[in-house]
Amino acid sequence: MFKGIRKILVGGEKEKEILDLIREHIEILSEAAETLKIAIEADDPSLSYDICELERTGDIIRREIALRLYEGAFLPAVRAEFYRFAELVDESIDLIEDTSVYFNMMSNINPEIRDLCLRIAEINCKMVDYLYHAFDSLEKEADLSDKTIKLRAKEQEIDGLKREIHSKMVQIDIKSFWEGYILSNFLDNLVNISDKIEDAADVIQILNVSLR
Amino acid sequence: MMKTVGKDLVSLRIEIIGISLIISSLAIVLSNWKKVPVSSHQAIVSSLVGSGLAFGVSIDVDTLMKIVESWIISPIGAFFLSIFVYRVLIIGISKIPPLKAERCIRYLLLLSGSVIAYNTGANELATALGPVVYFGLLTPLQAAFMGSILLWIGAFLLSGRVVETIGKGITALDPFSGFAAQFGAGLSVLLFTTLGMPVSTTYCVIGAILGVGMLKSTKTAKSPFLKRIFLSWVITPFVAMVLGYVFARAFLF
Repeated sequence: MFKGIRKILVGGEKEKEILDLIREHIEILSEAAETLKIAIEADDPSLSYDICELERTGDIIRREIALRLYEGAFLPAVRAEFYRFAELVDESIDLIEDTSVYFNMMSNINPEIRDLCLRIAEINCKMVDYLYHAFDSLEKEADLSDKTIKLRAKEQEIDGLKREIHSKMVQIDIKSFWEGYILSNFLDNLVNISDKIEDAADVIQILNVSLR
Repeated sequence: MMKTVGKDLVSLRIEIIGISLIISSLAIVLSNWKKVPVSSHQAIVSSLVGSGLAFGVSIDVDTLMKIVESWIISPIGAFFLSIFVYRVLIIGISKIPPLKAERCIRYLLLLSGSVIAYNTGANELATALGPVVYFGLLTPLQAAFMGSILLWIGAFLLSGRVVETIGKGITALDPFSGFAAQFGAGLSVLLFTTLGMPVSTTYCVIGAILGVGMLKSTKTAKSPFLKRIFLSWVITPFVAMVLGYVFARAFLF
């Protein structure tokens, strides 16, 4: 009974656990994005195994978040948004994993587009940092708009790079169907990571608005 | 409150109380089953008047008019109070981080729920038990004790269906609108209870939800539900009074 009264008066333990789990989840995403960047930079496809490991940890955290939310953390009106956020972070990690798997299957990245791919990987890392700060601001700041605007600007930068890659891609000499297929999937996944991160930032903005 | 309904409105006879309470309880159980929020006040007061007329006892028209006025004024009061509470709340929370606002609103929802629960005891329960106490069947303390136990059982067994209609049917409620509506309605009922008037918490909550819904956008209020609720508001007193009269006549026959 005293525990129940304490929960009403003090409360917030489940919520704190979820916030910590989400922070941990974003940190996993950051680590995966950073590892992918290093893999492209150092031409080291073996790092994809580390990314697969991070993806599994991300899955475990997402399930844990779902379980804690189901146990009654936060108001029901915002629980769905918290889970949607965790799902989007998880989908971003999945995309990084897929990118790294295709990278592992490629002999190397064509020099014509290598720097552009590396630039995208760097921007992805930056975007994850911004995402972390935006999420952190939910607890610390009243206005989050500048944080999400920064993210959107980075995503637009990636869209520009994507167009540049596409224009160069058509000039690359492809020797077999599978070489083209793998390259195409590698690039698709690489440029889609930022879309997912942007979607996750949008959920932060929705949470912000729904609690106003 | 017990005095207004139990003593001033109708010169009581045990048969009138019996018929009135049976009709009211049937009306409330049936409307809850059909998911329509019905006012227990309206059912009790109207069936008391109907059966009182059939028995030929004196009815205080002034008291009755005051009660009917409060049925109309209280939801309107709740409508404006909820708008006021919402505006103040939005100004207050715009300066704090979203997650702190979420925590804040959890306490505020508990507070508004407590105000409504207090009102239910002070107003709704008093209306239902007023005639029983003033006829001397139960002491006020016994009535309060038994009433609160039965109130809990009713909330446990039947409230879910009406919660659905109120919470989702009229307009989609976010936590802040929910608080503003509940607290606005609570303040309105508290005000009328202090004045000794039996008002309907149900219609105050509906008036308040409508107020917040219309403040956000007139389109958010769902008109079919409102039509149903408005019809129940008009039909309940009429049907309860007619049934009270018919049952009482049948009893006399």
